[in-house]
Amino acid sequence: MNPSIGYTALILVSVTTALIGFYGLRVSRTTSDFYVASRTVRPWWNASAIGGEYLSAASFLGIAGLIVISGIDALWFPIGYTAGYLMLLFFVAAPLRRSGAYTIPDFAEARLESTTARYVTSVLVVIVGWFYIVPQLHGAALTIRTTTGLPSWVGAGVVVVVVVLTVVTGGMRSITFVQAFQYWLKLTALAVPAIFILLMLAGEGPGPVLQTGTELFPPAAPITGDSSYRTFSLLIALLFGTLGLPHVLVRFYTNPNGAAARRTTLIVLGLLTIFYLFPTIYGVLGRAFLPMPGAGESPDATVLLIPGTLVGGVAGDMLSALVVAGAFAAFLSTTSGLVVSLAGVISQDLLGGSVRGFRLAAVLAAVVPFGFAMMTDSLALAGSVGLVFAFTASTICPLLLLGIWWRGLTDAGAVAGMLTGGLLCGAAILLGSGVAHNSPWRDVLTQPAAWTVPAAFLVTILVSKATKHRRSASLSRFMTKLHVPERPLAQENPRSQAG
Amino acid sequence: MSLGPGRPPAPGRVRVSAPRTQAPHLPATTSVSQEVAEQSAVGEIMVQSLIRSQLRLALVVTAGFMASLLFCWVLVSWVPFFSQWRIMGIPAPWLLLGVGAYPIIGVCAWLYVRAATKNEAQYRDLVEEK
Repeated sequence: MNPSIGYTALILVSVTTALIGFYGLRVSRTTSDFYVASRTVRPWWNASAIGGEYLSAASFLGIAGLIVISGIDALWFPIGYTAGYLMLLFFVAAPLRRSGAYTIPDFAEARLESTTARYVTSVLVVIVGWFYIVPQLHGAALTIRTTTGLPSWVGAGVVVVVVVLTVVTGGMRSITFVQAFQYWLKLTALAVPAIFILLMLAGEGPGPVLQTGTELFPPAAPITGDSSYRTFSLLIALLFGTLGLPHVLVRFYTNPNGAAARRTTLIVLGLLTIFYLFPTIYGVLGRAFLPMPGAGESPDATVLLIPGTLVGGVAGDMLSALVVAGAFAAFLSTTSGLVVSLAGVISQDLLGGSVRGFRLAAVLAAVVPFGFAMMTDSLALAGSVGLVFAFTASTICPLLLLGIWWRGLTDAGAVAGMLTGGLLCGAAILLGSGVAHNSPWRDVLTQPAAWTVPAAFLVTILVSKATKHRRSASLSRFMTKLHVPERPLAQENPRSQAG
Repeated sequence: MSLGPGRPPAPGRVRVSAPRTQAPHLPATTSVSQEVAEQSAVGEIMVQSLIRSQLRLALVVTAGFMASLLFCWVLVSWVPFFSQWRIMGIPAPWLLLGVGAYPIIGVCAWLYVRAATKNEAQYRDLVEEK
């Protein structure tokens, strides 16, 4: 691929992101802008921002790559990513907004009245965030390597630098605009080339040569105990992992009330549905027209290579640049969302919560995963993000679900459950990365959610029952706050509070 | 960046700092119905019944959604007639998982939001009648 395409796309996205960030910064001046500006953020903006933040490297590059390798089984990934938001809508969205918690540790402290529970949650949130940033940086490294031929660290480094600069200089408000813009950029970047190529293929004339020897639409693998377990465990991880992603919760805070949080989630589901049509198309095109990736080549590059391979000339270059820009939007938006929420947690719990502390924490939140990303090698983006979801589902999910819906949850139960889930899932992931291909333990270790999530719930419930006397004193009041609807919108004028 | 002569001076910058947990205690989020609920035993029972009905609703819709996912999975992997069926050259299992699963998600979400809003409206009616 022509390296200048990569450079142009990269510079365009970085500059636009920075510009929107600074424009937003000029709009937000006062404290009420900074926090309550959210009240002027319309559900559509907010939903676009959530979509922009959520659609990460795994969605943009990983799904198509997985379809190239494993065919129809990969289609469960986007279904799981979307259905995770359904669970969020059913169990978490409105109550969590009403709780007023800004971060998950805030929620833990408010619900359990325990600083220990708060610290344990903070540590887990930081671990989740760091390990979710790593695949984004792997994606950036892959993109830069594929499009410009520069070494891997350049791609990851650019993402870290741009994100830290925008986060350190901007507030929540500008992040909302940046994220919303990036959803539409990502959608355009996938949709325009895909539609162009499909029209081209449907048209007259000799089309590109089909790869022989690859079956275009392989049927589902015959059902075995192993494959059923893998699909089941993956769906558990994706459905219940979304609930606990640290950057998702912050976004719900920018809804004016619980009902708006539900409406926003409904729009998000629509936006995700439209987006996820396209990675599938790229996956199938990749199976049809690209040679199977050999050893050492990543199938995750499929999306990046398709436009240049199938469309020649200037049109091909422009479509390639668009796709590369979309990919960078994906890395930048997810990483900056995670860095903002991690910086909030780190600065508040470790550095005393000053503005300087927040900036230092933002640097810390981005540099540590950069180190991890440089030391490790990415195998498949969708798979590594799937493991992060399994970890979240085994740690944060029991805290949120039981905390919102079960009066019996105590601080001891929550801490015991989170530690159990975290240790079991962490150990499985570590052991699973080294286990042999034909080992009978392989599936159990590489898709651990099916047993670590129930284990975490069980321990949380049993320990809570054993420590009934530790139930928080203001439990009734807090549960009321979570579930009772706010005054109907007609009686208040949300605009009047924005000024 | 200079201000024009006619413009009022911009509001000064205000430092936003921890603890953020203070931020949520905005007066706007406490409502009459919340106060009623907190002050009486009857109120507490009504809140508990609201929580129960919302939880029941969430679990029922989740069960329905899981059942339809299971149905898709069985159809894709176990029904030979379905997996050989092609629509415009694309096998039906690919269409079902690549496109068809999403409307199911959308319908579940829409049904849930409608019913949850209704539960809350009923609760509000109850409280305000008193």
